[in-house]
Amino acid sequence: MACNSQSSFVHGKSFPTSVTSATAPKRSIYPSLIKCCRGRTTRAKAAVGGEMVLRTGDAVRRSPLPEETAVKNSGKFGRFGGKYVPETLVACLAHLEAEFYLAMDDAHFRGELETALRDYVGRETPLYFAQRLTNHYKVGVNGNGPEIYLKREDLNHGGAHKINNAIGQAMLAKRLGRRSIIAPTGAGQHGVATAAACAKLSLDCTIFMGSQDMERQSSNVLLMKLLGAQVKVVDGKFKDATSEAIREWVGNLETSYYLPGSAVGPHPCPTIVREFQSVIGKETRRQAMEKWGGKPDVLLACVGSGSNAVGLFHEFVGDEDVRLIGVEAAGVGLDTGRHSATLSKGDVGVYHGAMCYLLQDAEGQIVGAHSSAVGLEYPGVSPELSHLKETGRAEFHSVTDQEALQAYRRICRLEGICPSLEASHALAFLDQLCPNLPPGAKVVVNCSGRGDKDAAFVFQLNQTSTQRLEALLN
Amino acid sequence: MAVYTSPFLKPQVSSLTEPYRATFNFRDRPSQILKFPSTASRPSICCTMTGELAVRTEEGDKNVREASALQRPDSFGRFGRFGGKYVPETLMYALTELESAFRSLSKDQDFQKELGGILRDYVGRESPLYFAERLTDYYRRPDGEGPHIYLKREDLNHTGAHKINNAVAQALLAKHLGKNRIIAETGAGQHGVATATVCARFGLQCIIYMGSQDMERQALNVFRMRLLGAEVRAVHSGTATLKDATSEAIRDWVTNVETTHYILGSVAGPHPYPMMVREFHAIIGKETRKQALEKWGGKPDVLVACVGGGSNAMGLFHEFVDDRDVRLIGVEAAGLGLDSCQHAATLTKGEVGVLHGAMSYLLQDDDGQIIEPHSISAGLDYPGVGPEHSFLKDIGRAEYYCITDQEALEAFMRLSRLEGIIPALETSHALAYLEKLCPTLPNGTKLVLNCSGRGDKDVQTAIKHLKI
Repeated sequence: MACNSQSSFVHGKSFPTSVTSATAPKRSIYPSLIKCCRGRTTRAKAAVGGEMVLRTGDAVRRSPLPEETAVKNSGKFGRFGGKYVPETLVACLAHLEAEFYLAMDDAHFRGELETALRDYVGRETPLYFAQRLTNHYKVGVNGNGPEIYLKREDLNHGGAHKINNAIGQAMLAKRLGRRSIIAPTGAGQHGVATAAACAKLSLDCTIFMGSQDMERQSSNVLLMKLLGAQVKVVDGKFKDATSEAIREWVGNLETSYYLPGSAVGPHPCPTIVREFQSVIGKETRRQAMEKWGGKPDVLLACVGSGSNAVGLFHEFVGDEDVRLIGVEAAGVGLDTGRHSATLSKGDVGVYHGAMCYLLQDAEGQIVGAHSSAVGLEYPGVSPELSHLKETGRAEFHSVTDQEALQAYRRICRLEGICPSLEASHALAFLDQLCPNLPPGAKVVVNCSGRGDKDAAFVFQLNQTSTQRLEALLN
Repeated sequence: MAVYTSPFLKPQVSSLTEPYRATFNFRDRPSQILKFPSTASRPSICCTMTGELAVRTEEGDKNVREASALQRPDSFGRFGRFGGKYVPETLMYALTELESAFRSLSKDQDFQKELGGILRDYVGRESPLYFAERLTDYYRRPDGEGPHIYLKREDLNHTGAHKINNAVAQALLAKHLGKNRIIAETGAGQHGVATATVCARFGLQCIIYMGSQDMERQALNVFRMRLLGAEVRAVHSGTATLKDATSEAIRDWVTNVETTHYILGSVAGPHPYPMMVREFHAIIGKETRKQALEKWGGKPDVLVACVGGGSNAMGLFHEFVDDRDVRLIGVEAAGLGLDSCQHAATLTKGEVGVLHGAMSYLLQDDDGQIIEPHSISAGLDYPGVGPEHSFLKDIGRAEYYCITDQEALEAFMRLSRLEGIIPALETSHALAYLEKLCPTLPNGTKLVLNCSGRGDKDVQTAIKHLKI
């Protein structure tokens, strides 16, 4: 994000903090710090007739939006989302939102972005019919079963879907005259994508990464350094890296741009990330029409904070006949408390500036998330996905570390594709899903990343006995 | 088609006679590869795959040489005097069968459609032709002039290199031949991983031969191949590296030729492999022509590619060989320096001989024994080179230079920092040559460099040497 105002914090406390659910009788630890900003935005009025009106100086620009996903005045998705930030950041975020829509309205910017996505990122990514995986799930004498397609985001430059958003936001930052990018990363894929985009656009790049994540994804750390990024270590995991990155950003509002990789955070972050990732769903619609003359029946994606899932789902939210399924990490097991199944086991609260489901204890303190897939380890989740769950538009399930590892091996062996451990969670859910689907149902799974970064980890697991598995995953 | 009138044969070198005759006698051949002599009395062809037998040739008909220069390869699988089929009799039928199948499937619309679908949806083609703006700016001269540099992004392919183009096509070909057992050799593991990948995709049994030394150094790649369902067999003979693994793979093929297809990873080996692998990679050059026309309404002026065995280079060059206004530049590995004897600069320092079934330049000592090559990049670490490259060099159609390990490492870093693309160390050799090339190019020259692979696999090596 880019801001023109000097920052200061109310009450001398730093942002972000967590605020407990507005609905449950839990005590808020910093009640005076976080103000609900619902009534206080900006230059954007409520969507009217599917259009959002922005005022920029004396000019009025109109940007049409799909009615069913129109963002209301403070970026709410039902009761989720919003801008739970200190006052100093409200104007900043409003400015960012306005600039974002201006950029997306600018044919020159859109042209440059399309060229970058085509020639640099390598889009469009294929919609690949996984014949052997489909055969694996065929049952009965007649060999009936669904047809499984993989949306190959693993083929993107950088190896994951993260670059779609990183390159878009880096271009936006450059357009805004920002020279310095700050980003947090979990598994490192967003860090690598951001570092790559910054190198290409000649921007300075600082990546914040949790120390525990760095140990498990060390290859990505090396890649970031090679790409010229400065990597700052934060004690803990992704959520701690996010908090630290935001602190750094708030201390340098005029010169830096905060580039989140997930569809979380205060409005307009979830919307911006979703818009850049929605190319996944748009391509899928067109490719499905070309391949079988229809739409997918089921969309399946892993959910950490939710960026690849919203990217795939968003295009089809209005198509009620398309089933949307998100798969979270059940880690060692939902009953063990060591998981990242926010939408299954979380409660509503405010985290990193947005209302969403999150994993919190009775005191409203954040509970650490766990998964063998570092990219799924986040105690919060996208506000948009929270809303889709609450309205019943999307379903959310979870799979364990073991199930994900089995899926990882299965796809390697059957299709010669090594998916990331994150994507393996979505692929693992096919075991439960496929027996319940009618024959010929078209299932599109978002293969959100490649698993080269996980090969060393899986290799180590292979060398290690089952009894030491827990110790390794700690 | 262009006619090459330059004297591609040096006076002291001879070529194969027409018609081609093979006499095969293990008993009284010396156990070494002899140099390519000028005055042999009669033709006799021996297998040199095991490094134990010799080859001799004699002066041929000049008209035949010129005629065969127009076909690449000719009906005997020769590119001028290079190429050929220096193999035991037991493999002749398999090679002939392979060639027939290849020629017939080339015209088969269903096969082409199936292959096209796999290249699109599985491999992720077409790969972009990317304008490297910052790299172009870097080479801009003080007066603002300089070439325009484009990268052909083979690094974006599934598995991260150009290798998959050929692996996928050969696996499909094997299936059509009814052969469900695939063998391959690998050095660092990249070709092994690509082969294991396509075998998993097509449900074929896969056996990879790898030198035991290489297996120790590349344990992760060995694990990857096994994850993909391949059996990795260690080779302990010789120096236990790539050339020994190749020899072992060929022995396996000789024994199991009826059920087994050998996926050769480069444009080396006996005919029809150099031609076949080139054709499967030729899509690189075809796409480049189309994309160049779309982007600037013309052809490239210069093509640059790294050369180990030579597959990515042939894939890019082949489409443009007959366009005399397109300059073709191959870049080999000078390793620790050409004077150090620790290099893999076959076309610069090698001499003509026969290795792994084909006549070509190769690194050999005075006794005709293979000299172990060296390069920081495993993919360029091969003592031979594709016969077609040898031919293009001899007739002056392509130019070949070399780059040291250190220069390649610097180029590796340069592209990472300027474009956010981490190239393979192999590709880095081609990128390093831009330092010498760009200052000599006129303003606005369109240069296309084959970014043949991504460098994730080389990060540890680079960090160690660059001390980041």
